Amino acid sequence: MALDIRKVVVLGANGAMGAGSAMVFAAAGIPTTLLARTRDKARLGQARVEKLAKSEAISRFLSVGTYDDDLDREVAAADLVFEAVSEELALKRAMFARIDAVRRPGALVATVSSGLSIAGLCAERSDDFRRHFLGIHFFNPPSVITGCELVPHAGTDPAITAELAAQLRGRFGRALVRTADTPAFCGNRVGFELLNRCAHLALEHGPAELDLLIGPHTGRAMAPLATIDFVGWDVHRAIVDNLHANTADEAHASFALPVYMDLLIDAGHLGDKSGELGGFYRRIGQGKEAQRFVLEPRSRDYLPAAKLAVPPVVAAMKRLHRVGRYREAMAVFADEPSPAAALMRQVILGYVSYGLGRVGEVVEQVADVDRIMGQGFNWAPPGLLVDLIGARRTIALLEQAKLPVSRLLVDAAERGAHLHTEPGDPGRYFVA
Amino acid sequence: MTAPVFILGGYQTDFARNWTKEGKHIAAMIREAVQGALAVTGVEPREVEVGHVGNFAAELYAMQGHLGAFLVDVDPGFAGLPTGRHEAACASGSIALLAATAELEAGRYDLALVVGVEQMKTVSPAQGGDYLGTAAWYELEAKGVEFPFPKLFGRLGDEYDKRYGLRDEHLAHIAAVNYDNARRNPRAQTRSWYMSEDHARGGGPYNATIGGRIKISDCSQVTDGAVALLLASPAYAERWAARRGTSLGALARVEGWGHRTAPLTFDAKIAESAGAPYVLPHTRRAIEDAFRRAGLASVWGLSGIETHDCFTTSEYMAIDHFGLTAPGESWKAIEDGVIDFDGKLPINPSGGLIGAGHPVGATGVRQLLDASLQVTGAAGGYQVPGARRFATLNIGGSGTTSCVFVVGRG
Repeated sequence: MALDIRKVVVLGANGAMGAGSAMVFAAAGIPTTLLARTRDKARLGQARVEKLAKSEAISRFLSVGTYDDDLDREVAAADLVFEAVSEELALKRAMFARIDAVRRPGALVATVSSGLSIAGLCAERSDDFRRHFLGIHFFNPPSVITGCELVPHAGTDPAITAELAAQLRGRFGRALVRTADTPAFCGNRVGFELLNRCAHLALEHGPAELDLLIGPHTGRAMAPLATIDFVGWDVHRAIVDNLHANTADEAHASFALPVYMDLLIDAGHLGDKSGELGGFYRRIGQGKEAQRFVLEPRSRDYLPAAKLAVPPVVAAMKRLHRVGRYREAMAVFADEPSPAAALMRQVILGYVSYGLGRVGEVVEQVADVDRIMGQGFNWAPPGLLVDLIGARRTIALLEQAKLPVSRLLVDAAERGAHLHTEPGDPGRYFVA
Repeated sequence: MTAPVFILGGYQTDFARNWTKEGKHIAAMIREAVQGALAVTGVEPREVEVGHVGNFAAELYAMQGHLGAFLVDVDPGFAGLPTGRHEAACASGSIALLAATAELEAGRYDLALVVGVEQMKTVSPAQGGDYLGTAAWYELEAKGVEFPFPKLFGRLGDEYDKRYGLRDEHLAHIAAVNYDNARRNPRAQTRSWYMSEDHARGGGPYNATIGGRIKISDCSQVTDGAVALLLASPAYAERWAARRGTSLGALARVEGWGHRTAPLTFDAKIAESAGAPYVLPHTRRAIEDAFRRAGLASVWGLSGIETHDCFTTSEYMAIDHFGLTAPGESWKAIEDGVIDFDGKLPINPSGGLIGAGHPVGATGVRQLLDASLQVTGAAGGYQVPGARRFATLNIGGSGTTSCVFVVGRG
């Protein structure tokens, strides 16, 4: 079937995800209406789109309006209604009820939710609404990060899912992964498993020490606990709480939010966005004069940031990454006997094991989990790490760490095949 | 008649990467590109007989010279490999290619590795602009000038305006086409950037003027990138083709080349061509030389062109110099859609320097790689349907060094 998207309406267009998503549609030349609670907020969304696109000319495709004055008329004329309001089930459901009343039959409705049940969000809606409803999970900011999850629920018309997938890949330039309607889909499930596990390990090892050990040299742009500060502790809590409540696999315990985080969130510590309260890291003052502190999770005190000695295993890996010897760097990762290296292996191999373990449950192929971790999180994908370490060596390390070994990994080892098949330079993930 | 040179294949790094942010040394760029080219072609390192590196200014950007020697570091199989580095500003990559093709034609070697590389994001844009000024006559044209090259290529536009008239909307179309094409190219720097003809026509804070008539949208970007290419004599190519289950006739081949140098300063160039139909006559001659050597009667024997659009004005110049229109009438090819992706003679299906990116010393090698991908039907999302023959134009300085290749098949 032909899916002719000629008009998009974005709800919650003043937020980062709303404006970012609107930019994707407007950049493709589709007239896009930005709706928010007030006109001023909608205009704020428009300014955000211009800033993301670095263009005033993109506003040619934008119009603004409010839920009270414009929603009924705009939604009635839309081919795609894109919901990006706050991540609250009740709020989203109320919005969908309003949309259901005015949308024309056949119009698509999508949510940018990063993990709520797609089936649950549309449970009370009309048949036609449900057939045309799915999740389109962009990553922030969609103007830069092209990774995207497409999440139909059991009642979504398969022809619509297929056609929308083709358009997201082609017209909208997305690195697309189709996932099952399971909690937090694929990227956040695998990603926040590692992040929250690091938050637990910070109790024993200290946040700064842990971030140094699981830093960019392990294949990521930003260290894990700095990432949680960047994402926001409230957002982190919502994601891991959802996963803890609704999944029951080998990572169940690691999805429990550490108690110290719970207490600090209640005291207003939300990471970077909570100013001088901070999160794992706290900065008081600006620029060179700024004083830096690090959380001590046991006491929940902040101690002055100290200059840490770089563990030899980290220094060795960085030296090799710097000159492009990634395979040799991963050999150091696999073989170095120090306790620091053992801890690094425990965290990274846990990620590899958990990521590969979701193939068959959340996504169909290793390429899918590799694509979303690479293009959505900018982390070295599990399959790539296996290829660099070697499948047999990875299996031995996983067994040593008592981590589940995916059947896919055993097959790859037996056939001598590569697991990572995604295009693009593998070296880009490894920071020296 | 010299022996033909075959292009076996190559590898381009993702031009969107920032290798400084990754903490990488230029050695990593060379390494990734070479390993990629070896993997794509299935060539064994010990089979390679000579290596040439094109690079403009690693001494300035990365405090590193002697780049040829970095090839030896890539693989033990390269032990003892004869290597060298070549420089002619933004045409450095093509000079490396000319050296390699000359050696193959002369029968000195049978298999050559050519790498173009530039790491540019090591310094601020202003500092980088000053370094690029050394591609002009620095003391006369660049010293103390902020962003000298946009100003020089703005003057190229001014010269067209003076001789023939030039409308900025035509330059805006060139920008829009290059950005649009880049969206099809998974290794293009700007593949996910927003651009439209409206935006390129307009000014404002997001499309400020950089120098003269040149706005941000008229410029190629500061780019990090490396490209490696394997070139072979007929003897090696034939063995290689048999090994790969293909034939010589299916391989890309260098059919012709042109190489000319104009006076270094822009004033001297313009004074020299005063009253002549072509604004950059030496560039025109390089194109004519390449066409003659390739036995190409006119530009219409080409399926497409990868040209040097460091600025929209340089592509505007290339359009009439290649002969798509009479001198001064480049706008006609633009208005008629000739240069568009689905036009009669698409220019820069890769996105060119403006869209794909311009890692200065790598550009010439990237162009030849793209030309070879096009004529062998291997360009993927930016493949020009049925392409048989492509030309490249790579320019150093303000139209100073001009290098042209014609690439066909078999």
